[in-house]
Amino acid sequence: MSQDNPALDFSTVIASTVHDMKNSLAMLMQAHSHWLTRLPDPEQHSPEQGVIEYEFAHLNGMLVQLLGLYKLGVNQLPLQPAYHDLDDFLEAQLASHQEVFASRGIIATYEVDPLSPLGFFDRELVASVLGNIINNAIRYARESLLISVSDEGGQLVLTINDDGAGYPAEMIEFQADYVQGINYTSSSTGLGLYFAGRIAALHQRNGVGGSTRLSNGGPLGGGVFSLYLP
Amino acid sequence: MLSYHQKSFLIVDDFSDFRSSVRSMLRELGVKDVDTADSGEQALRMCSQKAYDFILQDFHLGDGKKNGQQVLEDLMIEKLISRESVFVMVTAETSQAMVLSALEHEPDAYLTKPFNRSGLAQRLERLEQRKNLLKPILQALDRGKPLEVLNACIELCKKDIRYSPLCLRYRADALRDLNQNEALERLYDSIIADRPLPWAFAGLGQLLFKRGQVSQAKGIYEKALKVFPMMPALYDGMADVLVVEGDTKGAQKVLEEAIRLSPLAVRRQALLGKLAMTNEDFDTASRAYRQAVSQGAQSRFKDAESNLGLAHALISKGSEKGLDTRTRLEINTTLSLVAKENPSDPGLQIRARLMKATSLLLNDSETAEKLTEQAMMRLDGMEQFMSAEAALLVAKQLQMLGQASAGASMLKNCAEIYGDDPVVMKGIAKLTDDPTILSSSNAAAELNREGVRVYKTGNLVEARSVFRKALAMQPKNISIALNMAQSLLHGTDTSVPSAEIDECRVCLKMVGLMPDTDARYPRYQKLKIKAFGG
Repeated sequence: MSQDNPALDFSTVIASTVHDMKNSLAMLMQAHSHWLTRLPDPEQHSPEQGVIEYEFAHLNGMLVQLLGLYKLGVNQLPLQPAYHDLDDFLEAQLASHQEVFASRGIIATYEVDPLSPLGFFDRELVASVLGNIINNAIRYARESLLISVSDEGGQLVLTINDDGAGYPAEMIEFQADYVQGINYTSSSTGLGLYFAGRIAALHQRNGVGGSTRLSNGGPLGGGVFSLYLP
Repeated sequence: MLSYHQKSFLIVDDFSDFRSSVRSMLRELGVKDVDTADSGEQALRMCSQKAYDFILQDFHLGDGKKNGQQVLEDLMIEKLISRESVFVMVTAETSQAMVLSALEHEPDAYLTKPFNRSGLAQRLERLEQRKNLLKPILQALDRGKPLEVLNACIELCKKDIRYSPLCLRYRADALRDLNQNEALERLYDSIIADRPLPWAFAGLGQLLFKRGQVSQAKGIYEKALKVFPMMPALYDGMADVLVVEGDTKGAQKVLEEAIRLSPLAVRRQALLGKLAMTNEDFDTASRAYRQAVSQGAQSRFKDAESNLGLAHALISKGSEKGLDTRTRLEINTTLSLVAKENPSDPGLQIRARLMKATSLLLNDSETAEKLTEQAMMRLDGMEQFMSAEAALLVAKQLQMLGQASAGASMLKNCAEIYGDDPVVMKGIAKLTDDPTILSSSNAAAELNREGVRVYKTGNLVEARSVFRKALAMQPKNISIALNMAQSLLHGTDTSVPSAEIDECRVCLKMVGLMPDTDARYPRYQKLKIKAFGG
């Protein structure tokens, strides 16, 4: 090897390691769920299973996000927008968290405006954003979670609402800083907001980019995360 | 209507743990008919035996094996799956698979590992619903009836206008197949004006290019690449434009960009090899051809031209002192494959031998001489036409190998077959100064142009007689023979025997010897079907 080359590009090392970690986690999760089916019923539903499943999903979400951030950094995140059936899309996001909802006793529902059944976005990227937000909402929700879809001035709005205590006031006040990456080191939620903001902004129409918004209240009274896609 | 539980499934994954885990998930969901395969090759064999309703295909099946995208391409092109079957690409990481996917063969859905049972059930349920909704369109596609596809789209949108975005792609492809170019252009324009979709950009670019509106096509690709810089198919289109504009260096750069994004692409690598040869960048050419050869081994796009290209690039790269042992070994391996795998193709047998002889010219003249002799013997008995490019290289190598007269007769033959093409004539001029060869096609080419003019005025009798005169001068000329055949078929009843039909069939038999890679081959096939019946 030539000596002029820097020994290691650390972000590439992290990215390829994360890639392997993700594969390894996938095998672990698959094996775990396979093993669960062979356990007698009470063990299948022990509280520890809930923790394991929640943390599996949390870990996976973080790894996906980390890879996404790496690719955004090296400008290699492809945007593949297409028309998607919103019923199908939201149902799929909830289905992937089904076990965790069950073990935590959370009732998760979604509402789609029947007049606009299709949305235009990159399915995988938006799914990774929603995955993180849902995972976060699960931590704070008491017993319900609602995803709704609406249309605001021609923009598609995906809203995730929980019945927890809501986002801290300063997080709502300084949300623009998180999205711009000024203040994301303080918490994983902050990093998630930054990621969501970048993915939203990749979606563009006639010069208008997507965006995110945090607030409290909504039909369930807790935290409200909204993703605006033009 | 059957739900997915009653349908047949094929799981393709190289990890046995994963296969058994998905199999048991499906069992728990009530699916009974589940088969598994551990490689793409096995999956293809199984699909040729049994029509599966669902295929869950892992994208990465190990190095040196067919990947999921190649399996999908093979299944579609060989028509081993119906459009009504569901093909799900299972990936560890979706973005990579998407970059590798060709726009014309996309899976019905991507499923990212890990997934749980409820996630899998939900996807299957919805995909089944989607296929049911689109059933009339998909069945028309399976029958290969674009007009029925369009009608089915209209019906579906009438039932529920909200589904019209789902029909856009089917409508565009059907209009393309029907050659309804104006309607197609309007559709693409309206799609792009509303939402930038990568396939619409690629389609519009191709349409404009096909119609010769090269600068407009370029504008579209430039615009599209700003929005979708990660889409290799758009770079391919841009490279086509640059080649036509004569900017082969620019085209090479654009293709290199596409290959950086998506290196696993046999045809793209082969095209890069060819462009780099034109640009005399022999390092890039040999690298690209080497990739095309090794990837091609598992692909349906395997092509002996890449082996010959690799050998040619390596020889061109060599110095006056000849080639080193490693290079000679690589040339030998790649050319032996050509000879072994194409026993009944005289053109390839000749070209492989001459290429090898050229590589040995400095190091082993005795073997070179022997190979040249073998090639010349086969050349004598060969009826089929080589492509102009191949013929020119053969002529050049014959000259290098000391066979000046054989080279000259090759050039003469080439001038007869392709003499109406100024690019080919320029290539011939590089290899000879002989005026009898260089001017041999002038008179016939002039008559051919004259015939076309007369044909357009509608004077069939006169047009035929002009083409006939031209063809008498150059009986193997593809353009003239096709024009002759077309003018004979014009207004002739093919169901009754006639002198016209007989003459036409003789013409077509002669041009039937052209390589099927020739741009005029589809036209020949159309005429052949008319003259000989389907």
